[in-house]
Amino acid sequence: MAEVTDGGPGGWSGVARTAQRYQGVLSLVLLLVFAYAFEPLFFTPNNLRNVLNQVAIPGVLAVGMTFVILTGGIDLSAGSLLGLLNCIAATWMRDGMSLEATGAYILVLGLGVGALSGLTIGVTRMQPFVVTLAAMVSLRGIAYVYTDSKNISGIGDGLAPLQQTQAALPVPAWILITVTGLAALILARTVFGRNVYAIGGNEEASRLAGVAVTRTRMGAYAINGFCVAVAALLFTARGNNGDPAAGLGYELDAIAAAVVGGCALLGGVGNALGTFVGALFISSLTVLLILQNVNDKVAMGWKGLIILVAVYLQNLGRK
Amino acid sequence: MKWMIGALAALVVIGGCGSKPEGGTPTAAGEAKPLVAFAQANSQDPWRQVFDKEIQAEAAKHGDEFAYEQQSAEDDPNKQISVIDTLLVKTPKVLLVSPVKESVQQTVEKAYDAGIPVILLDRGIPGDKYTCLIGGDNVEIGRKAGEYLVERLGGKGTVLMIQGLGGASATLERAQGAMEVFKKNPGITVIEGDDCKYQRKAARDYMDTFLQSGRAFDAVYCHNDEMAIGAYLAMEAAGTPKKIIVGVDGCQKEIVQYILDGKVDATFKYPIPGPEGIRVAASLLKGEGPPADKKIVLPTEIVTKENADAYLKANPNLF
Repeated sequence: MAEVTDGGPGGWSGVARTAQRYQGVLSLVLLLVFAYAFEPLFFTPNNLRNVLNQVAIPGVLAVGMTFVILTGGIDLSAGSLLGLLNCIAATWMRDGMSLEATGAYILVLGLGVGALSGLTIGVTRMQPFVVTLAAMVSLRGIAYVYTDSKNISGIGDGLAPLQQTQAALPVPAWILITVTGLAALILARTVFGRNVYAIGGNEEASRLAGVAVTRTRMGAYAINGFCVAVAALLFTARGNNGDPAAGLGYELDAIAAAVVGGCALLGGVGNALGTFVGALFISSLTVLLILQNVNDKVAMGWKGLIILVAVYLQNLGRK
Repeated sequence: MKWMIGALAALVVIGGCGSKPEGGTPTAAGEAKPLVAFAQANSQDPWRQVFDKEIQAEAAKHGDEFAYEQQSAEDDPNKQISVIDTLLVKTPKVLLVSPVKESVQQTVEKAYDAGIPVILLDRGIPGDKYTCLIGGDNVEIGRKAGEYLVERLGGKGTVLMIQGLGGASATLERAQGAMEVFKKNPGITVIEGDDCKYQRKAARDYMDTFLQSGRAFDAVYCHNDEMAIGAYLAMEAAGTPKKIIVGVDGCQKEIVQYILDGKVDATFKYPIPGPEGIRVAASLLKGEGPPADKKIVLPTEIVTKENADAYLKANPNLF
């Protein structure tokens, strides 16, 4: 993905290229410098654990979404799938199943639903927006039917291992780090990863070059579904219940994190580490705004504006 | 040109995090005033908006004794867990929580176990790890509404009950209380109407369709005022002869005006627990100990044409 820069004075375009290469890192550093200067509570161990606990769910969702966005697609059903898997996981735990069995089942379900979305998009050639919009509506409906519109509580403490702290970091943070690392490896070091970038860059050319477009797309959506399942397990542990309304709008948070992290919605540009940084940026911002006692309605406005600006900053070098 | 926009953008980021509402608490070291923090469920629906105004007004009266901060969670339990975790970083002396769902239980208990008094407002959580719960009694409100309707109908007639969001405790309890009374009066027939989600438009759509069915009825009991207004608007448009209409909440100037105009007959105030919560927090900070009753039930009051003007004067913060 060679970058084309404008032919302005050499010095500036060099800086711009560097700025773009480091994507959201720039915004994150800026934010952290501000936090360091003005919010003494931000860098306390307590709060850093708090930030890491918060970033895990949107972070894992965003890393999954990165695969989909890289192919030039989008997944609007991530929040609904999270809600459904949250209900199923809570039901299994309530009925006395082990964490291992429940976890495996949820991960397989997520993988399967994701693969099905990818297959549908690949075979019917319908737009990902439309297919996943339909999935968003149906999956939410299934969650309500599955639970009879009730919350599932009384699931015991079987999920407690997902809430503990291990080696100084909360377990959800370790899971996010692992997922991000694996995703980065898959994208950078495998043929599948290269194909994901290729079909996002130019689908027709990749097809002509012999890339199995539908299979690659299916793989990308399957990985995304798997990540949604991981996030659903973390979500279930965090609230220790099942809620058919869970995850409403989370797909948009995931897309925002990926975009702040440097993913281009047209596909072909972005990576998992960037997305991780983007998610960390948004979660840090949320926490900082609360610590600074910014009115939550005012905070929403600022968050939108800051996300817009962060993306603009990164795009300076891109043309 | 680009760098200027970039610099401007950076300023926006910094400005956004730095902006505070008036009366924001300085977090500098040496801050003497203890902090009372409130995690609100949402700040969107009319009842919550009056709630916010009243709790802030009461907190302002205690401005010399403690600093007050609040954050809302857009009705997402996962977001509320994050908000509470972040507020705890600021080590409040008293934590007020209006839970979105029972799933915030773990976080609330964490605060309570750490020795922070927790005052729950409006909705409770399972278990007894909280200092006190302050709220209204929806079953009693349902009963009062049922008794009013039976009296107005002279013990004989058909009541159409337009229901709130399915599965919500307020819906179940407001229905339960009224049904208790109706069942004791054999002359009363009840038509259980649809789930209209507490929304004016949904109630209007439902009433439009119901009127088409031609089924006879004498009174309408709506689980909130918004739906009572929606039902009235449908009947007015259809030219239906005047029926008795009763709502619940009494938190809007608009419903009081409808009552004054004789369009709606009565509403029952769903009491706002905010000010009482602040008073309990203030007495806890003075070392006066927790209230004698762990559950404080605030009384409802009926609003009819006779006392509507007085009600408006007594409740200046109505939405």
